[in-house]
Amino acid sequence: MNRRVVITGLGVVSPAGIGAAALADAVRAGRSAVGPVTKFDASRYPSRIAGEVREFDPSDGVRKDQGRYVKKMAKVMAVDIQLAVAAANLAVLDTGLPLGDAKADEAVLPTIDHTRFGMVFGTGFIPTELDELAAPTAASVRDGKFSLKGWGSDGIPKMFPLWLLKYLPNMHACHTGILWDAEGPSNSLTVSDAGGLLALDEASRIIARGAADWMLAGGAESRVNPVLMMRYCLLGRLATANDRPAAASRPFDLGRTGHVAAEGAAVLVLEAREAAEKRVARIYGEVLGTGAACTTAGVNACDADGRAVALAVRQALAAAGIEPRDLGAVIAHGPALAMHDRSEAAGLAAALGQAAKSVPVTAMKGVTGNMGAASGLAELAAISLLARDGRLPPILNCERPDAEAGLNFVIGKPAAMVRDTVLATTNAIGGQAAAAVVRLIRAS
Amino acid sequence: MGSVTPLGLTVEETWANLLAGKSGIRPIHIFDAETFPTTFAAQVPDFDVAPYVKDPAAYAKAGRNIRFAMAAARMAWQDARLKAGAFDPERTAIYLGSGEGILDFFTLADSILAGLGPDGKVSAVGFAEVGFKRFDALRELEQEPNMPANHLAAEYGIAGPNYSCLTACAASTQAIGESMDLICTGRVDMVMAGGTHSMIHPLGVTGFNLLTAISTEHKDEPWRASRPFDRDRAGFVLGEGSTVMILEELGRAQARGARIWAELVGFGSSADAYRMTDIHPEGRGPAAAMRAALADAGIGADVIDYISAHGTGTTENDKVETMAVKMVFGPRAHQVPMSSVKSTLGHLIAAAGATELATCVLAIRDQVLPPTMNLDTPDPQCDLDYVPNAARKARVEVCLSNSFGFGGQNDSLVVRRFVA
Repeated sequence: MNRRVVITGLGVVSPAGIGAAALADAVRAGRSAVGPVTKFDASRYPSRIAGEVREFDPSDGVRKDQGRYVKKMAKVMAVDIQLAVAAANLAVLDTGLPLGDAKADEAVLPTIDHTRFGMVFGTGFIPTELDELAAPTAASVRDGKFSLKGWGSDGIPKMFPLWLLKYLPNMHACHTGILWDAEGPSNSLTVSDAGGLLALDEASRIIARGAADWMLAGGAESRVNPVLMMRYCLLGRLATANDRPAAASRPFDLGRTGHVAAEGAAVLVLEAREAAEKRVARIYGEVLGTGAACTTAGVNACDADGRAVALAVRQALAAAGIEPRDLGAVIAHGPALAMHDRSEAAGLAAALGQAAKSVPVTAMKGVTGNMGAASGLAELAAISLLARDGRLPPILNCERPDAEAGLNFVIGKPAAMVRDTVLATTNAIGGQAAAAVVRLIRAS
Repeated sequence: MGSVTPLGLTVEETWANLLAGKSGIRPIHIFDAETFPTTFAAQVPDFDVAPYVKDPAAYAKAGRNIRFAMAAARMAWQDARLKAGAFDPERTAIYLGSGEGILDFFTLADSILAGLGPDGKVSAVGFAEVGFKRFDALRELEQEPNMPANHLAAEYGIAGPNYSCLTACAASTQAIGESMDLICTGRVDMVMAGGTHSMIHPLGVTGFNLLTAISTEHKDEPWRASRPFDRDRAGFVLGEGSTVMILEELGRAQARGARIWAELVGFGSSADAYRMTDIHPEGRGPAAAMRAALADAGIGADVIDYISAHGTGTTENDKVETMAVKMVFGPRAHQVPMSSVKSTLGHLIAAAGATELATCVLAIRDQVLPPTMNLDTPDPQCDLDYVPNAARKARVEVCLSNSFGFGGQNDSLVVRRFVA
């Protein structure tokens, strides 16, 4: 079986706001959502800026019974999980599938077969909120020092019982699955920045092989916390242009200083094409092909020649059955760290060949910062809306692009988007690369 | 196949100890757990990673989970008689069920204490003062859950698709199942697949103790603590380790004259979509996964000779898994032997499924079933044939291996003797 897969729902929660349209609007307007860190006192951190999601309610828009579940469970959902649930809700609501009448005690989404409804999320390691460890750690001190013996006897009893479940990287799918009664295949990929597009890759193959008819492909991560920002500062990956937050995230620009830590979630609803056509669904686009690869350069490196990105792109193009010149746009990861950007650009140039000079390449992290596992899917959701303009917005903060990149970056002003097929790419430092080719449907 | 487990540093040693009913469960020695509610676990014996890697210095900051994976992968690689240059690195994938690494708990605690204010909250200012001095950048990086798979890619030059999943206790079964799709769709020729994990660290044991998921009983005789399907079961026992398998497209394996251990023929995956903390009381999800795996294999339940149970030893899991097997197998459920190697091996969490699949493959080779140890007092709600307390000779051609994760992911694989 090799069935075709279409996108019928978009859900995004990003620093630019709630909804795919909020991200598309910010990208179109060139409006940065990066600002000083407000979630904790980052004054001692070399990087003190972030793309924060200001306010969101993961129970917005859903049925009352679902809203009650989310409100009740919110205390055992780390922010990553809340972001994921919110984006998934937006995406499912966006499909136009009948919700079912809660008052009449009707099951949610009564028109679909829930055993054929599943999901794949890209997620990250979620560090514990420090305040939760404060009292247990203080109770563990013996002779002025932290003691494991003290932790065992007096620390553990001060932890809250469901602590572990608040932070597991598969709880995004667990809660989303419960909310929407998705009883089909469920996976959680922990592959850093590549998580979102690899989730799209696997979810679309699950539909293609006939193991499900509806899949959520999602990615969610928050890197705006004291533990992860410390980790990435120590690794020298975070931007230090603290005095100019709006200009700090500079994809493919020579003046870049690193990733801007960010948070967000993006979910696409994938549907077997025949199922979507049967219910006359609004179709945003068709997933034509995906690709995946990995660097072999080492766990804290990117290959200088971008071979991992190039391989993922070649696979995606081959699976889609198209040539590079058939692409209307490339939506690059462009996380704005020199090693990371250069590798991606080199890989794109290699895979696109002659077409590298003509296919316009844009990126959106100038607006959002690096949302980790939400990357790729957030951009695909936004481009699904932006394509209707027929114009591709420029890369925010890219003023002096890498000359040696050999790519047709969209700089300063929008570029015409003359074809509807787009390529999205992401890559993780030291690891996974992913690519997806989607044919967008502009009408509707 | 390659394994490092609490019962041995090879697949064969693990298997021999499983059949002999030896337990890998001992007092925890890798950190001071004396005052923890649970003081025992199934720990991998100490070993040096150097013989398994090209450059041991590259693993100086790597955690146990990475070192386990490197050892298991090297043994699998050698077992498959693969050499560099004899495979296409771009058409080879890696797919691991893989957990987080082991965090630097003492530094975290000291940093928290440095930031602790009179209001009981932790200021990031104080946290940063100690943390930026004490946390080690590379050691932090090594904790990310994709690191084992990334190390494998670098060590073997495997440039193709690379995935890590963490669907809790189901992760490596899911990894192997999805690897089948990568091969069957022609995306790649070969996958290095499996799992690696260690949650035997202070916060891991803490988390499971808080959930009352792991046993706190039999402290003085910990080898009795893991009691799947026994009336007096009181939770699982944490294990750790890694199993890695080389999966290959059949035609390619035959063309290179590979020795074929077995054939993977079915994969099924489902979600409970029920509750965060509980499994569905009727076993709806596990039954759906088993049915899907059988359907994928194109066989009926009547063909299955042995079920490798998820069999954790928690009250609920064992009861519900028993119900689900009855739903799928009908009256024949009582005739199909089903055992849990977790009774001696402990629960390897993300590495459990791959390790248990390896035992199915060896059961087919040796025509013998590993026992469920410590099954002393039958539970009326668990009334199937669990191969109690002693290995058993049996005809074994087709096996079903179950893994069910916290959070409701259910995965089943069907493996059978390869017949050319």
